[in-house]
Amino acid sequence: MLTFKIQRWSAIALLFFLTVHMIFMHYVPPFHITFDVVQARLSTPTWKIIDILFLFSVLVHAMAGSYQVITDFESAFNYRKALAWASIIIVILAFIYGAKTIWAFQL
Amino acid sequence: MSNNDIQRTVTVRIQRFNPDVDKKPHMQDYQVKMWPGMTILDALHEIKTHQDGSVTYRRSCRHGICGSCAMHINGRNTLACKTPIINEVQKNDTVTIGPLPYLPVIKDMVVDRTSFWEQYLRVKPWLLPPNDIPEKEFRMSQEEVDALHDAEACIMCGACYSSCAVIGLNKKYLGPHALLKAFLRVLDPRDTAPAERLEIVSQADGVARCHTIFNCIDACPKGLNPTQAIETLRKLAQKRQKYEEARRERQKHLNEPIPS
Amino acid sequence: MYTSTGFISWLLRRISGVALVLYLFTHLWVIGAANSGTQVFNARLDAVQTPIFKLFEIALLAAVVYHALDGIRLLLIHYFDLTEYRKTLFWAVFIASAILTLAGGIAILAIMLNGG
Repeated sequence: MLTFKIQRWSAIALLFFLTVHMIFMHYVPPFHITFDVVQARLSTPTWKIIDILFLFSVLVHAMAGSYQVITDFESAFNYRKALAWASIIIVILAFIYGAKTIWAFQL
Repeated sequence: MSNNDIQRTVTVRIQRFNPDVDKKPHMQDYQVKMWPGMTILDALHEIKTHQDGSVTYRRSCRHGICGSCAMHINGRNTLACKTPIINEVQKNDTVTIGPLPYLPVIKDMVVDRTSFWEQYLRVKPWLLPPNDIPEKEFRMSQEEVDALHDAEACIMCGACYSSCAVIGLNKKYLGPHALLKAFLRVLDPRDTAPAERLEIVSQADGVARCHTIFNCIDACPKGLNPTQAIETLRKLAQKRQKYEEARRERQKHLNEPIPS
Repeated sequence: MYTSTGFISWLLRRISGVALVLYLFTHLWVIGAANSGTQVFNARLDAVQTPIFKLFEIALLAAVVYHALDGIRLLLIHYFDLTEYRKTLFWAVFIASAILTLAGGIAILAIMLNGG
């Protein structure tokens, strides 16, 4: 039930973040993305916060979804505790990596 | 139905499997002459009596209430006894009949329903009445009866269970039939343990594993709605303690007349 | 196999979901080039903004749009008890995602042809 709830709440967050992301990254000029373009955008704190929250919700949604897909199979269902911990660790590692990337644009 | 239809002969294509002889199931065709009002079950009887006595299937009441003859007819789960054959005849004059999908086949249309009943027992399908039983009767309001959405009409035929794609992958899932029964007991104002029931269904193999595929609604020969029952259980599971308190309050007035 | 509109929507949801998870981690790796400096980032970003990848982007858009609209459909069913309208909702999602993918895809092609 917890996975189910996480999935729904992160989905609602993603509906907002992903729409923003898609419009501003791909349908508003400049269309060719370079380091300077991203840096210009990320120089404002609002964008930094939006991107960090977006990163977190998309990772949670992706791993909760993968966990659901995998545990639908009966053979994997018996190992669901281990799979849940593996998903959490992947979320944390990927979040650290992604947050580091967002930070890198400040330099 | 025109006169032509009455005389019509249809091909009934049956999935055959005899565990003693066959390695895997195969299809066998039988020619059946239709009569007005003939059901799929009548056609199967016709074949078993006059053509091939080895055709095996379960049936009992012929009135759509025992739930024995649930089968996979033209890709849909339904009761053979309440399906007129004329409605199922395809363009090539064929009706295809097989056993319920996703379940181990014992012989022809007979499937092993062990997991079906095991999951059913897990939700404690019986009523847990209060200690203080009224002298005459439990009184329920019309709203309380309506809220059950006829869930008590379930005949345990297994059509919903074996149409569920999640059951196809994972037999540990409670299944629509058990969750519908849990819904019936949770919403019943006479039941004393809704919180315990909601606790059972909110486990990893309960309501959260339903992926809202709706096959159970389409399959149910009684027109019930297990998906809506699961949605309701999901909502109630969020506030099960509060719900149980409200239930205890309600049970103080179970034998009083309903205020109209 | 028990096929129905619900089964198809579930299958498409799963397939697009798994594809998007794979894409997400690739995406993280591509953007992660920023950790190695401006030149590496620009080189890797140039590599994934060639015409072939633009075509892949249309497939990605289709997956995102379908997955999102299907999710909205599920949320509506969860919170507004719409199981009776399941078939209508399925076709609405299918048609809406086709239109959005087409519109977005044409925009991507137009931007690509203009040398954006």
